[in-house]
Amino acid sequence: MTDRGRHLLLLAPYALGLTALVFLPGAVTFGLSLTEYDLIRSPRFVGLDNFRELWGDEIFERALRNSLHFAAFGVPLRVLLALGLALLLHARFRGVTFFRSSVLVPTVVPEIAYGLLWLWFFNPLYGPVNLFLDLGGEPERTFWGARLPQWLTNGGDARAAIVVMSLFTIGELFVVLLVARQAIPGELYELGETEGSSPMRTFATLTLPLLAPVLLLLFCRDTIFSLQATFVPALVVTGGGPPPYETTYLPLFVYRNAFEYLRYGYASAATVVMFALTALIVLVQWRIFRRWRAGFAG
Amino acid sequence: MARTLKTLVLAVLVLAVATSCGGSGSGAKGNVDFLVFGDPEELQAYRNIIAEYERENEGAEVRLIEASDRDDLIARLSTSFAGGSPPDLFLINYRFYGQFASKGVLEPVEQRVEDSDAFELDHFYPQAVNAFRWNGELTCMPQNISSLVVYYNRDLFKQYGVAEPRAGWTWNELVDAAAKLTKNTDGKGRYELYGLGIEPSIIRLAPLVWSNGGDIVDAQNSPTRLTLDSSEALEAMQLMFDLRGTHGVIPTEQDVESEDDEARFMNGRLAMLFSSRRSTPVFRTIESFDWDVAPMPVVSEPAGILHSDAYCMTKGSSNKDAAWSFMEFALGEDGQRIAARTGRTVPSLRSVANSEAFLDPSAKPRSSRVFLDAIPNIRNVPTVSTWPEIEDAIEGHLEQGLYEGVPPEEVAQKAIAETTPLFARAEN
Repeated sequence: MTDRGRHLLLLAPYALGLTALVFLPGAVTFGLSLTEYDLIRSPRFVGLDNFRELWGDEIFERALRNSLHFAAFGVPLRVLLALGLALLLHARFRGVTFFRSSVLVPTVVPEIAYGLLWLWFFNPLYGPVNLFLDLGGEPERTFWGARLPQWLTNGGDARAAIVVMSLFTIGELFVVLLVARQAIPGELYELGETEGSSPMRTFATLTLPLLAPVLLLLFCRDTIFSLQATFVPALVVTGGGPPPYETTYLPLFVYRNAFEYLRYGYASAATVVMFALTALIVLVQWRIFRRWRAGFAG
Repeated sequence: MARTLKTLVLAVLVLAVATSCGGSGSGAKGNVDFLVFGDPEELQAYRNIIAEYERENEGAEVRLIEASDRDDLIARLSTSFAGGSPPDLFLINYRFYGQFASKGVLEPVEQRVEDSDAFELDHFYPQAVNAFRWNGELTCMPQNISSLVVYYNRDLFKQYGVAEPRAGWTWNELVDAAAKLTKNTDGKGRYELYGLGIEPSIIRLAPLVWSNGGDIVDAQNSPTRLTLDSSEALEAMQLMFDLRGTHGVIPTEQDVESEDDEARFMNGRLAMLFSSRRSTPVFRTIESFDWDVAPMPVVSEPAGILHSDAYCMTKGSSNKDAAWSFMEFALGEDGQRIAARTGRTVPSLRSVANSEAFLDPSAKPRSSRVFLDAIPNIRNVPTVSTWPEIEDAIEGHLEQGLYEGVPPEEVAQKAIAETTPLFARAEN
């Protein structure tokens, strides 16, 4: 057997799985987006009607806006936090294993359990988050005098709560960045030190450019992830509210239409839009990063 | 001799066939898949009914499939219909059954009821039965007929010298009692006691609108829009919103998010709560105070809202006779008695509703008759296929009216604008 033949043979099981479980359902979803389908009667072809309805659907518009909001705040914060922790914890020192494990642990907690835990954390009156913020302050005020966040009843605070929840499940980002940082040869830093480079300058001219390819990958991957990651928190913690639909994100919108209202065609159309949006964001990020890296090369 | 033997064999065969076809015992044989969701107490009731049924019917096997909540039940149902293997039976509220009835996947049961030896249709409360008619055809059979009542903490009423609610009490009397039972001793911070709990939903608002002489939709059978902008509905909405805005007798939104009304009632921090029979099993676990139920207060005429769940048989069931046999048992006297004793149901069968199984004076609430007295004035919301979406859409606006002080006119206008397309898309 030729090398190529062996490669194909090794790839076959994965390719088969990918086709059966991803490409085919994807194609079916695209097909269904052009139909009216309640999963019980046969699908009825309606052309682009679902997309036209989405265009005028205020709830969909809100879900779209909320999802973009989450991506805009959640992704940079998650990657930056993971980067900061990786830089802090890449060196060996006493107790580092404990700290590294602590960063990882929330990522392995089952999503529903994690959501229920935060539901308690964010409880407006008895939750530890507000009890801590309220320490020593006036009633309904934080200790620095600001309004106490209303995590579950104020739209902006509820969206912030969903972002905050996501900041503790950065285990994968952290591990990748930790390994990437450890792969940078120590000699390069020694060289920098002998030339009298300041830590900030070393970070900007050495660490960051060398981590750039990994950061690009993580940004893209996290963006894709972010458009789906809101589902459990929104369902379990905020229920898509407070009204009007302040934390209804695209996955929750799709879920409700498909499984609660039996509008699978309409939900498929929303999924197609979500897919297109993901592709578009990743493409834009890719272009920006390519220019950024080209800047370093120059 | 050969002839005699032949006759004997034939007789045995005929007898065997007759035994396997006749009577309810025969239909019981085989497996029945039964999909439900509910609280642990409710699920235990179904397990008890199944155990008793299987004990009485040799060879019968009913498999209880437990969904985690209503959404899960609907998702499981729709996917199982799509997969061509729906459960034989499922239990669903009339407010949510329209989306399945409209798609023609439910087996009509009127003929089976007529042929039944266990009961007749007029043994059941018609208010519940008629809620499950789709274009006149009886598609499911109700197991219960609850209405909205006021659960109240008797100890708190006594402690603060407030007269207990009585039949025919008015909305103003309710507000007055709730005000006397709302306490904030130090005058700042959190209230230690609220007078009343009410959720901002259409099924809580509707009885107020009806009691005020209004309606929630323009046509009960084929509605095209909400009529929350009528003067009667706006007044009823104002009454509801004033509970928080003007009187401050219900928990704030923050309070509700911190502790839901049912838990607050159980912890002795809520004097009254609007709820259906659904709350009874969990309230029976209360040991620290005495509680009872009272009728809904009247705005200008008595009105109640139907809460009813029914057994529905699917057209795709592979064992309809066995499924019906179980339905017949569960809806008959024995099955309804078992369910009633758990406290969860107000039986749909009049004889059981008026029996000790439901009215047992030793079991709380002692005034269970309140549920039966409300039945003559009970009404139901429309059962159009998009009703679940309509309810969800209205809830957000009512929440804003109740907690954020959005005026009834604006709530009505927004709710109507958002739901009119949903009525247009409905099948009925």
